[in-house]
Amino acid sequence: MTIRPTSARLTVVAAVLATLLLGVTACGGADAGKGPKLAANAALPDKIPDGTVLRLGIPNAEVALKTSGLIDEVEGYDIEWANISGGPQSIEAFRADALDASIVADIPPLFATWTDTPVKIVAVTENPDPLENPIYELGVSPKSKVTSLKDLKGKKIAYSPGQAQGALVLKTLEAAGLTQKDVELVEIQSVDDTFANALAANQVDVAPLGGTQLTSYLAKYERDGATSIRTGIRDDATLIYGPEETFEDANKAAAFKHFLGLWVKAEKWIDEHPDEWVKAYYVDHEGLSFKDGKKVFESSGQTLIPPSWDGFIKRHQETADILVKEQDQPQIDVEDLYDRRYEPVVAEALKGGQ
Amino acid sequence: MATTAVEAPVVGATPAQKKTDKRVVRRRLGPGPRIPGTLWIGPLLLLGLWALASATGVLDPRTLSEPWVVVETAQQLIADGRLQDALATSAYRASLGLVIGVGVGLVLALLSGLSRVGEAVIDGPVQVKRAIPSLALMPLLILWLGIGEPMKVITIALGVLIPIYIHTHNGLRGIDSRYAELAETVSLGRGAFVRHVVLPGATPGFLLGLRFAVLNALLSLVVVEQVNATSGIGHMITLASSYGQTEIIVVGLVVYALLGLVADGIVRFIERKALAWRRTLESH
Repeated sequence: MTIRPTSARLTVVAAVLATLLLGVTACGGADAGKGPKLAANAALPDKIPDGTVLRLGIPNAEVALKTSGLIDEVEGYDIEWANISGGPQSIEAFRADALDASIVADIPPLFATWTDTPVKIVAVTENPDPLENPIYELGVSPKSKVTSLKDLKGKKIAYSPGQAQGALVLKTLEAAGLTQKDVELVEIQSVDDTFANALAANQVDVAPLGGTQLTSYLAKYERDGATSIRTGIRDDATLIYGPEETFEDANKAAAFKHFLGLWVKAEKWIDEHPDEWVKAYYVDHEGLSFKDGKKVFESSGQTLIPPSWDGFIKRHQETADILVKEQDQPQIDVEDLYDRRYEPVVAEALKGGQ
Repeated sequence: MATTAVEAPVVGATPAQKKTDKRVVRRRLGPGPRIPGTLWIGPLLLLGLWALASATGVLDPRTLSEPWVVVETAQQLIADGRLQDALATSAYRASLGLVIGVGVGLVLALLSGLSRVGEAVIDGPVQVKRAIPSLALMPLLILWLGIGEPMKVITIALGVLIPIYIHTHNGLRGIDSRYAELAETVSLGRGAFVRHVVLPGATPGFLLGLRFAVLNALLSLVVVEQVNATSGIGHMITLASSYGQTEIIVVGLVVYALLGLVADGIVRFIERKALAWRRTLESH
């Protein structure tokens, strides 16, 4: 004797359950309400229809707008903030149609294009004194003797091909007159403190470290002989980009035009209220002490919004060309990645407050 | 911990009157009676070792912060309210995922355990999911579910569903067929059979699955809170590691360890109460 087979009813229940699970799955990332299509050369509309939503992964703008009270000037559309920044996460979210724009360095838009996620760049920022306040320095492991770029020859260097740090390594080698064959590139993704840990354990001789990673690495391991050297290369390119669909949607494009004006105001507010900003962003949002936060802000947190993008695009093209040459990527004309309709919007907003 | 008493003590006798008890007491082969609080002895030993290694300087504080620094950092985080916020968010996510995962896992296990059709349809996909690490599944889940809360909860639920399903299914199929025959003999309906035979019989398996599931829910938090989270223990750890704050990372790990121990203790307590009818080495 065995247990009798299940009645058809139970099987139906199973089917319903499975469908429910799939249903929940399907409606999770859907974005309601697509607006009319906007051609890439059409003028940006001013009218923002009701119910327009921007999903933005720009954590620093979120904190600045909310702290300064500028968030109240958002009119006719809603912003859904996502705590997402950096290339890999933002590209993933774009593909999932879960994000309209994010803030990154100059490498992610290139990689997005190379991996078939068409994106547009709609705003750029630089550092007021890029060579004096670089974002990255080359951390040197406690056991290595590297005091100048020439010493890199024959050393093990941490290298993450798809990230700004990777491009910086390639540019630094070029500046030092070396090729990839003269050094040993060790492929590691720079996630959180992986590079600092690899250096501390003497697994690599040299690795690019940014901001707090550098200060905390030196604070911990300087007594063992850890040092850092400057690259002498500009690494300050930061930009806001989003999937092409965002800016082909007339409603979102109009809302974004308004948002960019606010974003410029928020950046100005940061310039004028550095202490409030350090407290709101570095202390409350990022969990640093006020002293450490202020240090990070003063070294690499300053931003300058250029009214013209020409110089920025020229440097971006140079970066792309190095990756094309060194990583065998397909040729790319970065001019195609920029949506220059937003350039005058930003320039206008910059004038507005002066 | 085995008690190897060969002499039963005589209560209330002075040494002068002490007589040897002639009753034979056999050596017990099982682990003996339960000693309360044993769950904590191992972790406390570890903690002592950690404190000792830190105090003597064997352990470099840069690789693992000292216990007292971790306590200070935890106090600091509690004073700022960050730890409570993180705990509350994580606990909410984990419980929601746990409830959904346990529910779905249980239903799937019953369907697949009680019917060959169900097994044919359900068992394969569950084994496939078992073989795929959550971390590798994340990009796909983001594609399907976006980056919001549903994605996080469902990722946790998927991690919870697997052990519940495996152990419940295994426990159910392990029920002695004599019970099924008995149920058929007394003409129990399917509903009554499930209530009186299947569910109690599969409970030991289900509870073992629950022990795995509770920890899986906690482990999944680290993975899901790397994406678009603004609070939670996993987010706290990720953020701290991006700023090289080792002591906060260790606080997060200690919180995980405590949560894990407490959660596991709770499930084992439930297990003892629910399975009081069993005469096993555990209860003996």
